[in-house]
Amino acid sequence: MDAQSLLSLTKWLLVFIFFLVIYSMALVLRLKKIDPFKEWNPTKINGGLMMLFFIVGTIAAVWSSAYWFPKFALVLDPASEHGVSLDRMFWRTMIVSIAVVVVTHTILFYFLWRYQDRPGQKALYYPHNNKLEVIWTVVPAIVMTILIADGVRNWHDIMDPDEATKEASIDVELTGRQFQWDIRYPGVDKELGQAHVKYISGANTLGLNFDDVKTHDDILATELHLPVGVPVHVHIRSMDVLHSPTLMQFRVKMDAVPGMPTNFYFTPSVTTKEMREIKGDPEFEYEMSCQQICGGAHYNMRRVVVVETMEEYQKWLSEQKAFYTTFKEMNPGMDEGKTADAGDIKEIGTLTSTN
Amino acid sequence: MAESNITSDFHLEVGDHGHDDHHHHEQGFLQKYIFSQDHKIIAKQFLITGIISAIVGITFSALFRLQLAYPDTAFPFLESLLGKWAPGGIIKPEFYLAMVTMHGTIMVFFVLTAGLSGTFSNFLIPLQIGARDMASGFINMLSYWAFFISAVIMFLSIFIETGPASGGWTIYPPLSALPQAIPGSGLGMTLWLTSMVFFIASGMLGAINYITTILNLRTGGMTMDRMPLTMWAFLLTAILVVLSFPVLLSAALLLFMDRLLGTSFYLSDIFIGGEVLHHAGGSPVLFQHLFWFLGHPEVYIVLLPALGISSEVISVNSRKPIFGYKAMIGSMIGIAVLSFIVWAHHMFVTGMNPFLGTVFMLFTLIIAVPSAIKAFNYITTLWKGNIRFTPAMMFAVGLVSFFITGGITGIFLGNAALDIPLHDTYFVVAHFHLVMGSASAFGLFAGVYHWFPKMFGRMMNPRLGYIHFWFTFVGLYLVFFPQHFQGMGGVSRHYYAFTEFSFMAEFLDLSKFITYAAWFTFVGQFFFLFNFIYSIFRGKVAPANPWKSNTLEWTTPIKPQHGNWPGEIPSVYRWPYDYSKPGLKDDFCPQHIPDEELDYEDGFEPPKPVKPKEPAQTEGSKE
Ligand code: HEM
Ligand SMILES: [Cu+2]
Ligand SMILES: [Cu+2]
Repeated sequence: MDAQSLLSLTKWLLVFIFFLVIYSMALVLRLKKIDPFKEWNPTKINGGLMMLFFIVGTIAAVWSSAYWFPKFALVLDPASEHGVSLDRMFWRTMIVSIAVVVVTHTILFYFLWRYQDRPGQKALYYPHNNKLEVIWTVVPAIVMTILIADGVRNWHDIMDPDEATKEASIDVELTGRQFQWDIRYPGVDKELGQAHVKYISGANTLGLNFDDVKTHDDILATELHLPVGVPVHVHIRSMDVLHSPTLMQFRVKMDAVPGMPTNFYFTPSVTTKEMREIKGDPEFEYEMSCQQICGGAHYNMRRVVVVETMEEYQKWLSEQKAFYTTFKEMNPGMDEGKTADAGDIKEIGTLTSTN
Repeated sequence: MAESNITSDFHLEVGDHGHDDHHHHEQGFLQKYIFSQDHKIIAKQFLITGIISAIVGITFSALFRLQLAYPDTAFPFLESLLGKWAPGGIIKPEFYLAMVTMHGTIMVFFVLTAGLSGTFSNFLIPLQIGARDMASGFINMLSYWAFFISAVIMFLSIFIETGPASGGWTIYPPLSALPQAIPGSGLGMTLWLTSMVFFIASGMLGAINYITTILNLRTGGMTMDRMPLTMWAFLLTAILVVLSFPVLLSAALLLFMDRLLGTSFYLSDIFIGGEVLHHAGGSPVLFQHLFWFLGHPEVYIVLLPALGISSEVISVNSRKPIFGYKAMIGSMIGIAVLSFIVWAHHMFVTGMNPFLGTVFMLFTLIIAVPSAIKAFNYITTLWKGNIRFTPAMMFAVGLVSFFITGGITGIFLGNAALDIPLHDTYFVVAHFHLVMGSASAFGLFAGVYHWFPKMFGRMMNPRLGYIHFWFTFVGLYLVFFPQHFQGMGGVSRHYYAFTEFSFMAEFLDLSKFITYAAWFTFVGQFFFLFNFIYSIFRGKVAPANPWKSNTLEWTTPIKPQHGNWPGEIPSVYRWPYDYSKPGLKDDFCPQHIPDEELDYEDGFEPPKPVKPKEPAQTEGSKE
């Protein structure tokens, strides 16, 4: 036995002895019918503790909120246009919430402390007061209405942007699968070609339909590059189970649903470089994660997102090779534009499992 | 007298004469404690099964919190405990998800649904409305045993080769439908679904019984507007169960078919394990609609009984009438109705039509209004009260605090636009653990501390109760309050480790802190467990009405036998909340004592005797 385990053994032994001592003390007191806490008044103690809890709790809540505040990246430093108004709405709701929680808790704990059972005190018989009740029905209703109005407007703007935005947007497709994101750009024709699981064959794991010439210039990338200030139309697909591509800093999230393509419009407004300066962190990267439970490596579906100027973006894009070209190089015997029949899919599919 | 009532009244209703003879003779152990049809025994069976489930569920959370705090550290004891699921003492990602799933399922369904509503609906309904038992003791017994089978199946699934269900407590397909996607979706998921079928059956059997009993078997004078709020809460809960659980059953059956028969209700266009599956045309979103049509009412099925219990406990222990009795009932009805039309607020970003999002946002934020009314009414009940801090009272006011802190974040999440970033982050975890988990658990504890004397004829040790309260109250806040911070930092739910993303890694320290707090809370529960078991056998013998309460359950003998009241069932002359009524000597005024028999202060003119109101059904007064 080495010193380390001896030490830990002694620790446990001490704990054990401690409990034995307490237990035997309790036994003795019980036997002798002594109650060491007889003088204690539980109502007074608990009433006091309630007040103490409130005071210490409030201080702890304030202190810890202030301490962690700079790290609230989900609600600070938005990197997209709609993110600005979302964050504003978040903090507005937060102010209302803090006010409600603080006021109700102050009253609650004050009452608990103030109205604890005292000899000779009789409670007030006060079964109802319609005026009061109307007030606290109407006031929350009004506050809710204001919040709803704000929320509906924002929700509408995000989910259904105006035609100009849609026109100006670039397309990009995110496909979730266990456990990675595939990123597809439309290439020079600016249109994503058709894709469906039934076209999956060999290395074409995204199921691009090569009969559709629009797929021929589509680009597969391992990083999501986006130009700043340009609306992005994200097309979202899943190959297997639900995923949820989340671009936390851009306040973007939408489930990827197998069999039901979804989408999301947003406009990145801060480049990676600028964000590095804002954060004072030269290593900073925007990150894309998955936020819908999808299996064992759900926690690890990471892609880096790069927001850059239009020139940088275009330069990067021009350096990427169309997937179709790569695919042809890998399958030299392949006929132009020909894919397997649906009937062979199962067999061919099995071959791809090395991916 | 009591005997004749039993045979003549409810067994005729069941039409099941075969069982009558049990009640006339000395019952054997089996009839008395195992296959009992007595609501009090059945309540205790629910409670004890619920406590055992809680131990399992909480233990899971204590273990997976270790993983979140120390993602790269090996804990050799985990390997001895979990075997191949934690090779070298490091939990596998798949088993992490399995533990989270089991924790959620067990806590939501077994502990806070069956353990809370099952226990107290069974125990209190006949006692508080003045009935000899449930409308059907037999169906009641079936309800428990269906629950028992359900629990056994669920616990067995933990030990199978491929592990228990691992898709989260909401079991969204395709993850839950495809064994290729995660091992837990094999046999584990089949067992999960089977278990839930029994669970739903149990819930339905219980609920129709609770509704029938409350509507039909109230004693003389016990009109609906004289029922304690517990009764209203249990009635509404049972109605929610009856209307929502069948939908879960259909959701589960369709999932069964997709899994076993190859149908495509929820599955479409899937390429997994190197294979394109034949499924076409199904929609995973359909499952979510069905699930949340149950799921949202379910959260109120969990919460309403706790609210009912705390109303009663707070009123009794502040020695004041509950403030706004009618408003409390009204807001519970409002919550119950609205809870059926808000379900899609769990689905804002699932690709559902954004217009639906708007509609559900409206309804969702409306539900905050009745919730607010309840919170304000609790607080006003305390105003100028004479507050006695019994352990039950402490838990009841703790519930109010959790209800406010946890409910307020619903306003963020119910706002569809704000839900885009917040959905599936720890902000949601904090929200529902405070408002549902902690508040309902406190309702459960308040109920146990308050009605323990009636259940077991003995008192629990109050000092251990106080220690338990402070451990739990402080502990739960320390666990769940900081999770808001993690959520606001973007930390995602259902993550095995926060190490892979730099913005999440910032919260590893906080994660450690939360784990310590979780263990602190965990340790505190042993005070309860010890107190509970010890007091059943060695607690101080309870007086007849230890809390000086108005309700009928305290008019039974200290340990009520089958049939509850040895003689006639008392009639009721007023509502249950006449505490500290001016002019009376005592600060309480039991429901069953007529005005003319009350003890008035000197010089106070007692009111003229009033005849009891015409009862809904003259069950009690018939004798
Ligand atoms: C003020 C009223 C409330 C509002 C507006 C509200 C709103 C919401 C919303 C919108 C979500 C979905 C969040 C998301 O997944 O992104 C949610 C989640 C949840 N809420 Fe509430 N809520 C309220 C009160 C309650 C109450 C009283 C309970 C329980 C008793 C509860 C239990 C839950 C649970 C369990 C979840 C999480 C389910 C899951 O995804 O696993 N909520 N709430
Ligand atoms: Cu995922
Ligand atoms: Cu909900």
